Amino acid sequence: MRYWLRRLWMQLRNEVLVLPSRTLVLVWAIALLLLPWVYADPYVLRIVTLTCLFAIFAASWDLLAGYSGQVNFGHALFFGAGAYASALLSLKLGLSPWLTVWAGTAVATLFGLGAGYLCLRLRGSYLSLATLAFPLIATGLLFAFPGFSGGELGFSGLPRLANSLLGNYYIAVIAMLALVFGLWLIADSKFGLVLHAIRDDELAARASGINTPRYKLAAFALSAFAAGLAGALLAHYMRVTGPFTLETALSFQVVIWGIFGGVATIYGPVAAVFVLYPLTEWFGGFQAFGERRLLFFAVIVLLVLLYMPRGLAPWVRDKIETLCPRCKQRNGAWRTHCRLCSAPLIATDRPRASEPDKG
Amino acid sequence: MLRTLIASCAFALASTSALGQTTVKIAVLGPMAFVQGENHWMGAEMARDDINKAGGITVGGRKLMVELVRADSNEMTSVPDAASAVERVITRDKADFLIGGFRSEAVLAMQEVAMDHKKLFLGVGAAHDELGIRVEKDYNRYKYWFRVSPTKSTDLGRTVFGVLGAVAGDIRTQFKTETPKVAVLAEKAIWTEGLIAAAQKNLPAMKMEMVGLWQPSAVATDVTAELSAIERAGADIVFTFLSGPVGIVTGRQMGERNMKAVAFGINVEAQKDEFWGAAAGKANFVSTLDTYAEVEITPKTVPWVRAFKERFKKSPTYNAATYDAVMILKEAIEKANSIKSDDLVPVIEKLSYLGNAAVVEFDKRHDPVWGPGKSLGIGVQWQDGKKVAFWPPQVKGMQPFRLPAR
Repeated sequence: MRYWLRRLWMQLRNEVLVLPSRTLVLVWAIALLLLPWVYADPYVLRIVTLTCLFAIFAASWDLLAGYSGQVNFGHALFFGAGAYASALLSLKLGLSPWLTVWAGTAVATLFGLGAGYLCLRLRGSYLSLATLAFPLIATGLLFAFPGFSGGELGFSGLPRLANSLLGNYYIAVIAMLALVFGLWLIADSKFGLVLHAIRDDELAARASGINTPRYKLAAFALSAFAAGLAGALLAHYMRVTGPFTLETALSFQVVIWGIFGGVATIYGPVAAVFVLYPLTEWFGGFQAFGERRLLFFAVIVLLVLLYMPRGLAPWVRDKIETLCPRCKQRNGAWRTHCRLCSAPLIATDRPRASEPDKG
Repeated sequence: MLRTLIASCAFALASTSALGQTTVKIAVLGPMAFVQGENHWMGAEMARDDINKAGGITVGGRKLMVELVRADSNEMTSVPDAASAVERVITRDKADFLIGGFRSEAVLAMQEVAMDHKKLFLGVGAAHDELGIRVEKDYNRYKYWFRVSPTKSTDLGRTVFGVLGAVAGDIRTQFKTETPKVAVLAEKAIWTEGLIAAAQKNLPAMKMEMVGLWQPSAVATDVTAELSAIERAGADIVFTFLSGPVGIVTGRQMGERNMKAVAFGINVEAQKDEFWGAAAGKANFVSTLDTYAEVEITPKTVPWVRAFKERFKKSPTYNAATYDAVMILKEAIEKANSIKSDDLVPVIEKLSYLGNAAVVEFDKRHDPVWGPGKSLGIGVQWQDGKKVAFWPPQVKGMQPFRLPAR
């Protein structure tokens, strides 16, 4: 036991606490886990729960759009597929939501594979426009078969995964932490590197022997998996689902979160949701702002993009970390020499920490 | 001993806080950036001022003032936002009761949060039957929901066919036609589908001939093709189911073409004061279902509608029935001598409240009881720039329905 604790501490000290960005993430995760014990306000817990679910959705979009370059304008399709499939199975077959959430996620993954297959030959704006059509088609189908789909009203009275406020909160937080960390690991792995290569030059990637269609399909499926899980969790948390889970506005919302936070980072869109979702909700609490919340939202997004063109998260990271010019490892901004290779870090043209590795 | 002391202290504290309450907090939830939310708020404001001017609500020999909490539900854009707004007013603003809601899909989610907290929620705006069905299916959870206005969708359909029967009767008498011809002009939207199916089923039974179905977009800017076809089909009535701006276009173009057919049905744009101007003064004879007019639906209708117009310089829409919702709460609180939702539910279930446009009584689904003398609705027609009420004819102040000259 003592050995494992010691090992955990070493890992923490050498891998996490050495970098301010990782320390920040650790503090944020601990804060989320401790929040109900420090401030058990039901309204705050509700907003954080919803924020966590949308954060999964935003991170899933980033894997597809940011890493593989397949900019999806209809990402709500997967969110809605997860929500609807789980709701249908739970209401029509009376299955436990703990089962149907996974079944909904599986259906969303299949939708991801289907959408990915149909878009294999498309690139750039053509792919974006094609994906934009998918949730519209799905909505049309829902309205065409109201007896099966619940029509414009959708489904209500869904069972919750947990009956307590705390239970639902922890389900959302743990699901978000696990999925976001999982997606980040995937994006940081060899698989993520291949996706980067495909995004930057698909022809070159194919010439290097990479089976690009397979990787693109996998990116679609993984992204749909996470988005579908977020949709299914939201449906059971709110006890309702309906065409709002497929709305075009939701598809664009996730694009805004992605770009605001910083694409191809995973943590960027998550940070964006954690800033923008509670902020717009907070505006809603003020009579003077509430009815103009979309205007304020737009102004904040525009200002951030004007002054932080690569997004919020990379901007913050640039301020607190430095990239070593020799070994390309990141260091805390206060360091004068690299923590790994001891190369001097103070230079007139200090490289930015979030610049892609060139070495 | 210590436990008893702590319990006594807690009880004393709770009692003091209940006694210390000087207001009844009512949250008004609606899409405040839209006309629906605006009417929610205006109706509630009038009720608050009327109650407070009269000294407030009497509970346990004390007078409590009404305090409103304005909450933008943002429900037109986001269903999760609407549910969060309910959570906010209950847990942050400490609202005692909730009123409002408009978009059925969002109100279902809002209902869930209110029921989680066992808070009385008087719905004003959403018409879908499902909201009431839930009360019947799971009474213990959903009993805190009551729909004040409008009547549920099914009853709305019953009213529209009732008025259509009266319009057809006028046509039969005036033009000696046994079987009036009806053209159904319904915007392409889900909400119209049930009504179209009902029209296809009911019209032959009502001795009317359905000459066709035309479905323009809700935002169509031209319906010339549809109206030409309707004219060629020799229709006497254009039975409209329109909620979008196409309602204005239809009124204007029917006037421009001097159509012999008269338009009746649901035309949301025609319920607004601005309709005549928006249709360039050409929408004569266009008629629609509505809720308020200066006619004696109840003894309260005329003075209330006049007071509303004087204060806000516009006519009320059905969402302004938040006035009645606040008044129902006042009556129930005074009868129950309590502001606890659980105490008020059985009182409201038995209440017969004389409202501004209806005598509101609730059925087992907590929906307003439909029918003459209860909650019904009215038919209004645009006649030479004025919106006049014509149905139900037994109501004092109703004007005759007019048909275009042939």
